[in-house]
Amino acid sequence: MPPADLALLLTALACLALRLAGVWLAGGLSVDHPAIAWATAVAQATLAAFVALAIVAPAGALAEVPLAARLAGLAVGVATCLASRRRLLPSLLAGLAAMLLVRAVLQG
Amino acid sequence: MFPAFLPGLREALAAPGVAMAATFLAFGAAVREAGLSAGWALLACWGIYGMPGQLVLVQAAATGWAGGIGAAVMGAIAVNARFLPMAVSLAPVLAHGPRGRLLPAVPFIAVTPWAAAMRALPGVERADRLSWFLGFGLTSWIVAGCAALAGFFLAGALGQEARAALLFVNPLYYALLLAADLDRPAPRRAVLCGAAAASLALILPASMALLAAGIVGGTAAFLLGRRRAAG
Repeated sequence: MPPADLALLLTALACLALRLAGVWLAGGLSVDHPAIAWATAVAQATLAAFVALAIVAPAGALAEVPLAARLAGLAVGVATCLASRRRLLPSLLAGLAAMLLVRAVLQG
Repeated sequence: MFPAFLPGLREALAAPGVAMAATFLAFGAAVREAGLSAGWALLACWGIYGMPGQLVLVQAAATGWAGGIGAAVMGAIAVNARFLPMAVSLAPVLAHGPRGRLLPAVPFIAVTPWAAAMRALPGVERADRLSWFLGFGLTSWIVAGCAALAGFFLAGALGQEARAALLFVNPLYYALLLAADLDRPAPRRAVLCGAAAASLALILPASMALLAAGIVGGTAAFLLGRRRAAG
């Protein structure tokens, strides 16, 4: 099996196992059980850390975009989201536009 | 039979679908650049269905698996390890009747369906929650695969700049999902602690940093919340 296919197969199986383990571990616990509250906090914190790292220290093509442009896009997107009663699509477009604008200004 | 399937489907075609499609488009283009096949791109989307882990594998493939397959797979699993706490927190929200009924939902537990479900499901009848989740999950799963294929075949037409913009949509979209929850104290604590704990990346290897930041930040937020509740 080529390395790429093997890596894909192993990762897919492990991800499925993680999901199954989560459902199994939750078992009969109720929504307000402390273990559920802890797991929710860990999931949200992981996602927040992922966002922070992807914006501040990205890999690949995004690393070519200046940090100031990435931060401006994030700030405008979040501000629009909070001001527009959480409408995701307009916020997303506003953040993307801000990133492109600052990048154009800095690199123009 | 599935009264909430269609509302879930519609929800998935709104903002979440557009934002996800953009990232999977960029993923498809990256797969082609790494010299892998269209079939690989599709199976990665549908089998792994967690963008950070998919990106780890593509980056490893692009470098010719320089660090070995084992390291790449471990890195991909570590950045997708949030599936476990996500499944733990989602299961009681979805639960209705015997636990085996949740099995069809398992492959769709990923950031986008999870975040949408945690927001929308408390307002949905408990008996309808599973079909809502399947409607949302299946739709976004299919959209993701189609977008990756489109990205693969459009790769040549997308310049470096366009791909950078598409890749930016992914973290921005996750940031907005989190921002939408900032008015509730428990998610706010978790988000702030997690972002602060991301600085662990300065001292830990990249493959470990995300997992460590999530556990440290999430646990800190959980303990702060308990102390607030007790005091």
